[in-house]
Amino acid sequence: MQHITTDVLVIGGGATGLGAVRDLAMRGIRAMLVEKGDLTHGTTGRYHGLLHSGGRYVISDPQSARECAHENVVLRRIMPSYIEDTGGLFVTTPWDDADYGEQFVAACQETGVAVEELAVDAALRREPALNPKISRAFEVADAAADSFFAAYGIAHAARQYGATVLNYHYVVDMVRKGERVVAAIVEDLRSGEIKRIEAGYILNAAGAWAGKIAALAGVSVTVRPGKGTMIAMNHRMVNTVINRCKYPHDGDIVVPIHTVAVIGTTDVHVADPDVFGVTADEVTFLLEEGEKLIPGFRRYRALRAWAGVRPLYKDREVSSDRAISRAFKLLRHDERDGVGGMLSIVGGKWTTYRLMAEQAVDVIAQELGVTRPCRTHEEVIPGNEEGKHFWLGHNLSCVETEGSYGELICECELITREQVIDAIVAGGAANIDDIRRSTRLGMGPCQGGFCAYRAAALWDEIRHTQPAGSGARTILDQAPAVPVGVALLHHFLQARWKGLRPIMWGEQVRQASLDHLIYHDLLGIDLLPAELTHRPDRASRLVTEHPAIATEEHAV
Amino acid sequence: MRDVIVIGAGLSGLMSALVLAEAGYRPLVLARGYGRTHWLGGTIDVLPQADLRQGLIRVIEEQAQHPYARIGLSDMEAALKRFRSLMVAARYPYVGGLERNVWLPTALGALRPTALLPATMAAGDMRLGGELLIAGFHELRDFFPRLIAANLQAQGVDARGLYLTLPHGRRRREYTPRTFAELFEQRDFREDVGRQLGYARGMATRIGLPAVLGLEAPLQVVQDLQQLSGAQVFEIPTLPPSIPGMRLVSIFERAITAAGGRMQIGSAVVRAEHGGDRLDALYSEAAAREQRHEARGFVLATGGIAGGGIQTDYQGGVWDTALGLRLQSPAGRAEWFQSGFLQELGHPIFEAGITTNARFQPINCMGEVIFANVVVAGSALAGRDGQQQRNSSGLALCSGWYAAHGLSGMLAA
Repeated sequence: MQHITTDVLVIGGGATGLGAVRDLAMRGIRAMLVEKGDLTHGTTGRYHGLLHSGGRYVISDPQSARECAHENVVLRRIMPSYIEDTGGLFVTTPWDDADYGEQFVAACQETGVAVEELAVDAALRREPALNPKISRAFEVADAAADSFFAAYGIAHAARQYGATVLNYHYVVDMVRKGERVVAAIVEDLRSGEIKRIEAGYILNAAGAWAGKIAALAGVSVTVRPGKGTMIAMNHRMVNTVINRCKYPHDGDIVVPIHTVAVIGTTDVHVADPDVFGVTADEVTFLLEEGEKLIPGFRRYRALRAWAGVRPLYKDREVSSDRAISRAFKLLRHDERDGVGGMLSIVGGKWTTYRLMAEQAVDVIAQELGVTRPCRTHEEVIPGNEEGKHFWLGHNLSCVETEGSYGELICECELITREQVIDAIVAGGAANIDDIRRSTRLGMGPCQGGFCAYRAAALWDEIRHTQPAGSGARTILDQAPAVPVGVALLHHFLQARWKGLRPIMWGEQVRQASLDHLIYHDLLGIDLLPAELTHRPDRASRLVTEHPAIATEEHAV
Repeated sequence: MRDVIVIGAGLSGLMSALVLAEAGYRPLVLARGYGRTHWLGGTIDVLPQADLRQGLIRVIEEQAQHPYARIGLSDMEAALKRFRSLMVAARYPYVGGLERNVWLPTALGALRPTALLPATMAAGDMRLGGELLIAGFHELRDFFPRLIAANLQAQGVDARGLYLTLPHGRRRREYTPRTFAELFEQRDFREDVGRQLGYARGMATRIGLPAVLGLEAPLQVVQDLQQLSGAQVFEIPTLPPSIPGMRLVSIFERAITAAGGRMQIGSAVVRAEHGGDRLDALYSEAAAREQRHEARGFVLATGGIAGGGIQTDYQGGVWDTALGLRLQSPAGRAEWFQSGFLQELGHPIFEAGITTNARFQPINCMGEVIFANVVVAGSALAGRDGQQQRNSSGLALCSGWYAAHGLSGMLAA
């Protein structure tokens, strides 16, 4: 068993864990992060992409509203290129309490959330697709954030400061020496190798899975996984984030992000963060709610439905998950459970990830006797130096400038061959889903119909012609004896299908039929021997099929 | 007034229109587009079984409702005979027939059964031995020779993949199968490629190339490449758009027009007018206002879900887009699909279609003929998932031929 030593081990490759590992490294602390799937595999990669202004929580959760308002400003400064400055509106529809608007404005002022009332006709001029029957409109600083790009950017920044970030490393056990947690036993899911990571301190940033990690260390943390379902519609019917001006509830927000608009969310308690699915009822409900904000919403083409699991921390009995605070909590296990060497951070929002990381690292730094202050709110993430926000025409503009039309692998999202190859070689993508997360390949209308074949072929060609070398960023030690491209392709198509099935009607059924024509009828993927489409041996088995990360999502 | 209108310009509509034109009915073809023709690989697939004839006999004996059973073996032969003679006349001959299937490599390196194939694909027949060279171009994103070769190797086929260099001075802004088809029509381009193949061939006796070897005279392109390379050359279908599909459409269009038919593409039929059990007229979408078309008889060759002839909605409704007939389908959207995308059993919704009697006239749930002067052909027929069962092109040609003959008989009576 390989032994590794580090000052601090961070568990969880979502926004919070990544933010913490960067913060640690910037303070000169030797840090390592392990994530069981790919970065953002958990909740970070499964949310609607809202950079909160704080407006949503001004009444239900003022503490969270304050934190969001603060971090909104910070994130716009340190990572503008992952954020599209859409702005946000809170609108009062005929279904909403007309008095809520006054309370909303007052609460915004109390919590420091910038707000300005907009005349209804001005709001409708700005967003003509909005329900013309709205009675009031309030402008806030909501924005659309790309949590995938942000995660890869933060990880890159952390590595530049010397941090180690390992994906596909699954914590199988936590080691205690008396009343102190001293090490984690992790399995490298790619190689099957077991490693012992000794750490001076461990930060449990596993989000919805934090309870599972804590249990391994023999302490109890009750995370109440709250499932939130979202649907991406194939159109930006609005270019501003639209919220219902009411107490937070299901299906009350539409976020325009990249080429789509996402409606969210539901909130359903699930017993296990690894087992959840999207139900037909949730889809129907979200569409009906969308109709109230944007008449005709149901008639747009739905691209995909998915669910994320909120890492809500339950420290008291509450009537529903919505009543649990969105504010985060630091759990000092030494004070709370008499177990030293470990800190858990639970709850919170993507928008507040940096603040969560800062506060967690403050505690750890003190424990380790490090006095250097946090600088993550000042230092811009590399690649964001120009200070420009992302804009919708960005990808097209790149393709036009470079004249790379002929290089497009994913036409829906305008992803070029170079970007795909970069995701495989430099990004260490282990499968097409990893390429998707780092590039957006396959996230458009055809959901991988054309690009999945191309990406699988490129993956095979690269791994056959230039076997990965040594080092932390490699995938396989040598070129596979049997091509794995088909298995990757098969896996990706089946994975995309999970999110398609709940929203299959109209043009999306026709799209599925075209994709079926391509893969079944034309390419004959079903006619290939099973050992090509499903890898039987451990050595070449796809890491994504590992039970530790093969999340169960069926539930139509 | 037209004698007949064919709705749809996929393979079934085109075959119907040809039969009706040749019978002197001067058909008008009204269609939104060319159906799935530009997506399919250009082979005619009848049934996937190795012993095709035995398989067909079994289907005909055991499944009385199957369109093949209704058409019968001799009419299937007649339909495919007409298809073959049409292709020979256009110097784009097909080989094969209803005896046995041929296995051809796909762009994924799978081996796929087909009954009739263009002569340009004939050397891909997996019964032929020898080393294979699969060659393509980096610039063509819809064909990956190394992936194909690696997967063929994994199945015991001696194959090697290779990229060719795009001949100098041929840079384009974008490369699609169509770009390459146009390039291959230029003699100096093929000479350059042929020479590269000659150098790279090694011990290979057969060379597989993407199916982009020209639109107008592909056989000539294949012959030139064979001469220059010294090996047999064959085409492998790429991702859509399909050049072999485009060739088929243009051959059919010319023949239909020459026989007195008319093609009106870009004219989706949006509704119909009927009196009792006869369809009187159709309305097609046009720029300013709908266009009305009257006829004595109609062929409904509108296609299935992929072809755009069948539409579904959020409440679980399924209907045909031309006449608006409500169709039977599994109750509720939850039942439409299997849990996996690629499964042995197809997705139930893809079997949705128009129920017909033995003459392919549409019938209601009571078994009564809805319109006596309408016949249905191709993927619009209910109970078939041609893509899953690998028989959509064979079914399209045979049912198109058969339905048109039936209609022709009814009109003459």
